[in-house]
Amino acid sequence: MDNALKTAVMRKSFGKSLLYTLPMILITFMFISGGKPNFSDPASGLAMLMVFLLVNVLYFLMHFTGKTDRLRAILFIIFAMSLSYTLIHNMLEVRKSMSFSEADILECKIPFCHLVIPMMILPAAFTKSIIFPGSIIGGFANISSMVVLWVVATIVLGRGFCSWGCFYGGWDDGFSRFTKRPVIKKISELWKLMPFAVLLMVILTAALTLMPTYCSWICPFKAVTEFEQVTSVESATKAGIFLSLFGGLVVVLPVMTKKRTQCSFLCPLGAINTLSNKITPFTVKIDKNSCSECYKCVDVCPLFALTREDIKSGKVSMFCSKCGKCVDACSKQAIHYGIRGIPAGTMKNFSRNLFLFVSFLFMAVFSAGSIINTFHGLLKLIF
Amino acid sequence: MKKVKIIAGICWAFAGLILIIILFPGLNAFSVSVSKLSFMKLNPRYTGGEISRQIISENCTLDIRKPVFNGFLKESNSGFVQMDWRGTLPERFKDSIDYDNDGKKDFCISVNRTESKSDLVGFNDKVKKILISTPTSYGWAARVGLEK
Repeated sequence: MDNALKTAVMRKSFGKSLLYTLPMILITFMFISGGKPNFSDPASGLAMLMVFLLVNVLYFLMHFTGKTDRLRAILFIIFAMSLSYTLIHNMLEVRKSMSFSEADILECKIPFCHLVIPMMILPAAFTKSIIFPGSIIGGFANISSMVVLWVVATIVLGRGFCSWGCFYGGWDDGFSRFTKRPVIKKISELWKLMPFAVLLMVILTAALTLMPTYCSWICPFKAVTEFEQVTSVESATKAGIFLSLFGGLVVVLPVMTKKRTQCSFLCPLGAINTLSNKITPFTVKIDKNSCSECYKCVDVCPLFALTREDIKSGKVSMFCSKCGKCVDACSKQAIHYGIRGIPAGTMKNFSRNLFLFVSFLFMAVFSAGSIINTFHGLLKLIF
Repeated sequence: MKKVKIIAGICWAFAGLILIIILFPGLNAFSVSVSKLSFMKLNPRYTGGEISRQIISENCTLDIRKPVFNGFLKESNSGFVQMDWRGTLPERFKDSIDYDNDGKKDFCISVNRTESKSDLVGFNDKVKKILISTPTSYGWAARVGLEK
């Protein structure tokens, strides 16, 4: 009965859902095809069409079913896998290896990723330079574009970037969905403060050494992107750390806890995005009048953003990544997407529609290139 | 006050919507603007430093860069000097380098491209060891560690 009530409120008719999807169809058509679909290469045209259909069907279903998280996760996980595919494919084609050489570093040819940003801040302020061997402008994954994308996404979505934009988050999000019930249930919430410690550590060490230390020594996603060629004990140690952290924090622990443990316990950029949640226009709100205090939302939250105390006080913590898992789990619709300034429990549909449009559009356009590239590669492999 | 907050919230949300819509079509223009900011240049530790001298021979060019000693707040005691050989390189080559432009050679570096081997002979205590010596897309590059 409860679920039926909720579904009745959030889901829309077929026609209305289609109407809400129309702007997304138009904008993604423009961004994905550049306004002129080109089928001169059938595999590339087909890949483009598949991505266009995928994003719009998912967005339509978000309105039609009234559910958010699972549909978001489909694109989010495909994005993470595609990005890894694109990077590895690019590396193998250009360098015949997943590892980069000293020459690539000397020639500043390393693709930039948003995880470097926290380490750039102090050196940029004090030495007026960027401590990364990449390209400032032009070329694949250049520094300026990634900074612009991240800054805008962080201002608009806050930590929502971690669930709607980060091309690594999909890995632990995916693994956290492998089992139906968690094997490890009790985890101290203090661990969620760990990213702040990591952030402080990498900011200081990067400033002192003028090296992006997180990328050089810690980043688990080196295991699925690119890493330094193993030529010495030091580079072998680094590769060992990358693989162990990927195995532990991105695969094993998410499977056992059903939580996104890398995002919750390690990511330094997540810590900055957590702080930016204070300024973003979109939030998740708790309507205390409708809440029955069943705490289903607390149990399902993948980022330890909700506690029983938060529910009692009616405020979602700043650790929230707006993934929508709690919103989907609440049978009373007491927890919902909201807009800063609008009281909880009011304008729920308006807030959800606006948030979904903004966040989904960002993810759809940001991810389209890599997913098209992946689909294109797969199609060429099949045919 | 409540109404003002609601209106401000909705305006902020729509501003976010506009930002995301213009983000991708304007990405190139925004990126170019960001790239022009004073701090948007690569640290010399990555670029190898500015080119100090260029020695041109028949088939190749040797760029000797300025020594890099930069640190976070003050200059570091240890640094490096980078040399780039561009063009058609012989299988073995050897160059004597005066990195500080004092008229005296500071070290001699020899490279065997076939065996990927490099040797260094320092002519003073400031020259330490070869940090990197590697083939590149333009020829060969080497970094020699220095101390102040």
